[in-house]
Amino acid sequence: MPSLRELQSAVVHALLDGEHDKAAALIAARGIAPKHRLGVYANNARSNFIESLISSYPAIWRLVGEDYFRQCARGFHTRHPSLAGDLQPAGARFAQYLSELHGGDEFRYLSEVARLEWLVQETLLAAEHRPLDLAKLEQVLPQDYDDLRFCLHPSTRLFASEYPCVAIWEANVGSDAEPEMIDLDAGSDRVLLVRTGGQLKCHRLSHGEQGFLQSVQAGARFAAAVESGAARSGADPAGDGETGAFDAAAALQRFVLGGVIVDFR
Amino acid sequence: MMHNGAHSVARAAAGDPMPANAGIGPPANLGARAGIGLRAQHHLKVISDAPAVAWFEAHTENYFADGGAHVEALARIRANYPLSLHGVGLSLGSTDPLDTRHLEHVRRAVNRFEPALVSEHLSWSSVGGRFANDLLPLPYTEEALRHVSSHIAQAQDFLGRRILIENVSSYLQFECSRMPEWEFVSAVAAESGCGILLDLNNIYVAAHNHGFDAQRYLDAMDPRAVLEIHLAGHSAVEFEGQELLIDTHGTPVCDAVWNLYRAALRRFGGVPTLVEWDTDIPALEVLAAEAAKADVLRAEAHAVAA
Repeated sequence: MPSLRELQSAVVHALLDGEHDKAAALIAARGIAPKHRLGVYANNARSNFIESLISSYPAIWRLVGEDYFRQCARGFHTRHPSLAGDLQPAGARFAQYLSELHGGDEFRYLSEVARLEWLVQETLLAAEHRPLDLAKLEQVLPQDYDDLRFCLHPSTRLFASEYPCVAIWEANVGSDAEPEMIDLDAGSDRVLLVRTGGQLKCHRLSHGEQGFLQSVQAGARFAAAVESGAARSGADPAGDGETGAFDAAAALQRFVLGGVIVDFR
Repeated sequence: MMHNGAHSVARAAAGDPMPANAGIGPPANLGARAGIGLRAQHHLKVISDAPAVAWFEAHTENYFADGGAHVEALARIRANYPLSLHGVGLSLGSTDPLDTRHLEHVRRAVNRFEPALVSEHLSWSSVGGRFANDLLPLPYTEEALRHVSSHIAQAQDFLGRRILIENVSSYLQFECSRMPEWEFVSAVAAESGCGILLDLNNIYVAAHNHGFDAQRYLDAMDPRAVLEIHLAGHSAVEFEGQELLIDTHGTPVCDAVWNLYRAALRRFGGVPTLVEWDTDIPALEVLAAEAAKADVLRAEAHAVAA
């Protein structure tokens, strides 16, 4: 008699790797071959996994169509099976998988859109937080500002891509209408995602704001974050003609009012 | 052998007063009328229309998130209705150690939503950290009995309360099984101190697929251990000219399962009953009509008994 461990290893090997022989030998036939009986479970496992992936990546589903999505999802399931009893995290590496498939071809943007979709989902599932207590901020003396470490709303995610992923994403979720054509060279994305009042908000960022928020997110002091913003702003790395010095006061106001900066310590 | 922790947590059964829940909304126990499975597409309608549904059961994993729309919706629904939390992913029968992160998420959901009942499945879905995310049957052996009972006891200790364990549908049987499923289910409840969530559709499906008498299964259950009943629909596939029933939860409850429910009402009395629907989910009214049908049968059984 096999141990419970041996039996379970054989069955999971059958369901996830398609190797039925060991498991089939443990199963009573009674009119239906064990491979068919195992097949019911293998189909359930795969279909539960793929349904979860579809709900995480609606824009990719729409962009590539059902047949190709399911083909990718099956390959992804084989390579990266679920590692938890909750399927929600199972799609975390799908963008990486798409980039392995299409990193060198004209569909390279797909993995970038998938990366955005995963961040959107993280934003939608993150913890709630009340807005910044302005009275508390007013008590801080001006000379102490440099040492403040601002905290971002738990749903805040920063995203950058060489492709106009946000426009592609917006055109492919929430509406059944035929999406408009989007020029992949229409410009790069530099955005912040945040959930405020239950709504997903997408703020486009200047280079300076992006540098500032990356520093804040990494736990930097306000003075250091402002320096990062100023350095990034001056460098204009994308060469897209962004002008003007980084305005720390304006950035602070924008992100406090936008529900992005919610606390400090 | 009774697990040491089982007695201390065995008090939170359905119908017991649970003063800890007094703050959040309606009474925590589920009462006499049938409830329905809560699915995300019905969240807004339940919140805006406040339909006359007796109670809801939610899949625990769907509310694991730190925040967001689903978690907020369930909190609002819980303010108006009693609730049961029903897990599908704990993999209690697995020979891997219990996943404490998963258990912590369950505990957080229990603390957030203060359900009257917390349940899981008598199944497994993982080994070596890889999950099939389906409800796989155990071999009905002494080893599996000891193993799953100790995991259930461990989960109960972790959550600080008794849980209910549901019998699953199955499409295969292991050659090494040494006892019928009903004996295994009863023994697990006795050894771990858990309650039984008796899914009558799953009994019907398993009885059909494996050729046993469903009534025999009911007769073997200790009425004191059965604390909730599930009703659902199934579908059929054919292999080599043989019909295999599949637990799809995508159709109305069939007549044969309603008949099993009549028998269950006679044997177990007024146990909280739930109507489940998980694929091709219809309008809330259709689910409410199924629950109303269960209520009628319960009233008839009650009238006969009186």
